[in-house]
Amino acid sequence: MTEIALTRVPDPRGRVPVSDTEPAVPPRRSRWKTWAPALLFLLPAIVGLLVFRLIPIGWAFALSFTSWRIFDDVAWVGLDNYAHILTSPVSREVLGNTLWFTAMYVPGVMIVSVTLAVLLNNALRSSAFFRGAFFLPYITATVAVTLAWRWIFSTRFGLLNHLLGQVDIDRIAWLADPAWALPAVAIVSVWKDAGFYMILLIAGLQTINPGLYEAARVDGAGAFRRFYAITLPLLSRSLFFVLILALVRSTQTFEITYALTNGGPNRASTTLAFYIYQNAFVHFEMGYASALAYVLCFVIGLITLLNFHLRRRWVHE
Amino acid sequence: MSDILRRAPALVALYAVLLAYAAVTLMPFAWMLITSFKESRDVFRLPPSFVPTMLYGPEPFANYTEVLTRYDFLLYFRNSFFVSTMAALGQVATCALAGYAFARMELPGKTVIFALILATAFVPTEVTIIPEFLLMRGLGWIDTFLPLIVPSFLVGSFGTFMLREYFASLPAEYGEAARIDGAGPWRIFWRVYLPLARPALISIFVIAFINNWDELLRPLLYLNSPELRTVPLGLMRFVGEFEAEWTLLMAGSVASTLPLILIYVLGQKYVLQGFAGGGVKG
Repeated sequence: MTEIALTRVPDPRGRVPVSDTEPAVPPRRSRWKTWAPALLFLLPAIVGLLVFRLIPIGWAFALSFTSWRIFDDVAWVGLDNYAHILTSPVSREVLGNTLWFTAMYVPGVMIVSVTLAVLLNNALRSSAFFRGAFFLPYITATVAVTLAWRWIFSTRFGLLNHLLGQVDIDRIAWLADPAWALPAVAIVSVWKDAGFYMILLIAGLQTINPGLYEAARVDGAGAFRRFYAITLPLLSRSLFFVLILALVRSTQTFEITYALTNGGPNRASTTLAFYIYQNAFVHFEMGYASALAYVLCFVIGLITLLNFHLRRRWVHE
Repeated sequence: MSDILRRAPALVALYAVLLAYAAVTLMPFAWMLITSFKESRDVFRLPPSFVPTMLYGPEPFANYTEVLTRYDFLLYFRNSFFVSTMAALGQVATCALAGYAFARMELPGKTVIFALILATAFVPTEVTIIPEFLLMRGLGWIDTFLPLIVPSFLVGSFGTFMLREYFASLPAEYGEAARIDGAGPWRIFWRVYLPLARPALISIFVIAFINNWDELLRPLLYLNSPELRTVPLGLMRFVGEFEAEWTLLMAGSVASTLPLILIYVLGQKYVLQGFAGGGVKG
């Protein structure tokens, strides 16, 4: 299969083998002379693929069927870890939190980034300033800005409660109230990531032919009509890509949780990725953490497959 | 012109929304900056004041100098710079070699290897991090910078993909001409193609630098000694020990964000060029 594909590629010396002056398949010695440099060039990548990808993926899978605290002996437990994940109230709470977080983060980030992208695409001038301002949260140090948010969320002295107080909203204990801790993580995550998705969507918007809007306007279509009839269908490929990225990312939040709430109060803001970290590196339950990681991997795979299945229904090709 | 007049109300609304959201994205930075120029006694004051009082005082940067020297952040910055630079160089080296080989060299099975590199990039870190930790522990690399640097010299799916596209978009004739002049595979790569890929290489460097500067999980797992802390780890430990010292903490946060903004602004042109170049054939 690969051999066939390779014969169509020019060889590294940049020429296509010509059959009457030299054989299409060179003799063994000269074959090695072309393969050896390629092998050397790829050596780091191949070692990395084995040592940091393939072997760990298999190793973690094997570990997920064991009970192993790092200083004890390894005990084979079959499917116990997975059964425990499905039945234990703690892991169910964590899975519920993850779902709730996704339900806040994905619509939040989609609405904000689509709105910003469409507005910026319609702005007359100075969009460079806005683009920069909206993208800034994404490129700046996560821990630093999350700590700034932690200070903003402070119940008594925080800026947010002060601002809300101006419109007569009572103080919210953002980080101490179990009902608000996870929404706070979601707010910071949306704030940080929306600009990144916006950039992807602007690239998609710029491929839409402006003549379509002109034609629609001449036909008397209003701004909302133009958005629904032209922008959404023609942007659907970018939207699909952004939706998948956002869904996958929503299951993997770690830094912001760690710096903002540390998963608390109690477990109120502990989502799956953070729970895996706690199990593996706070309690050193390597077997259970590996099983959780495979559940996460399975969830991500399922989301992606489901999306590709539904893609035909709404993505305009 | 009449069109603009007709659209005026819509444009006013549009800019109002844009300005409002710009206020939302910039507010935390502004608050971080203002707090970093306050006396610590001014922090816990109601209603909160927006005046950076220290700017008018004799030592406007006192919070910065204190956090950098008395709390060792200067050392953490040096550590972060070292780790991020080495890791970014590692990314550039691995991705350039692999991307070039995938685009321009011949090896049986290379498409399978490339497919595996791409496919395994979608496996979440949470799966591989546990065996990775066990491996680093087995190698005796815990509490060194090696676990933060060595993997960057070996793994880089995104950069490899990007550079493969980039090298494939360059004309094969350049290599052909060099070969006729007697250049071997290494010289063709090093002298002919690598210099042409500069924008893509710089953009990979910038992205890798930012990612490594930002990394929290791995420093958390691998570094124990205070003198090895990176900036994000230093900030987290600082919160743990001096929760109420918001002025110092915000000064450290501002300082830790500045290098990223700087490298992004400097590298922006190349980052955009790199993507544009890489996308030619994509």
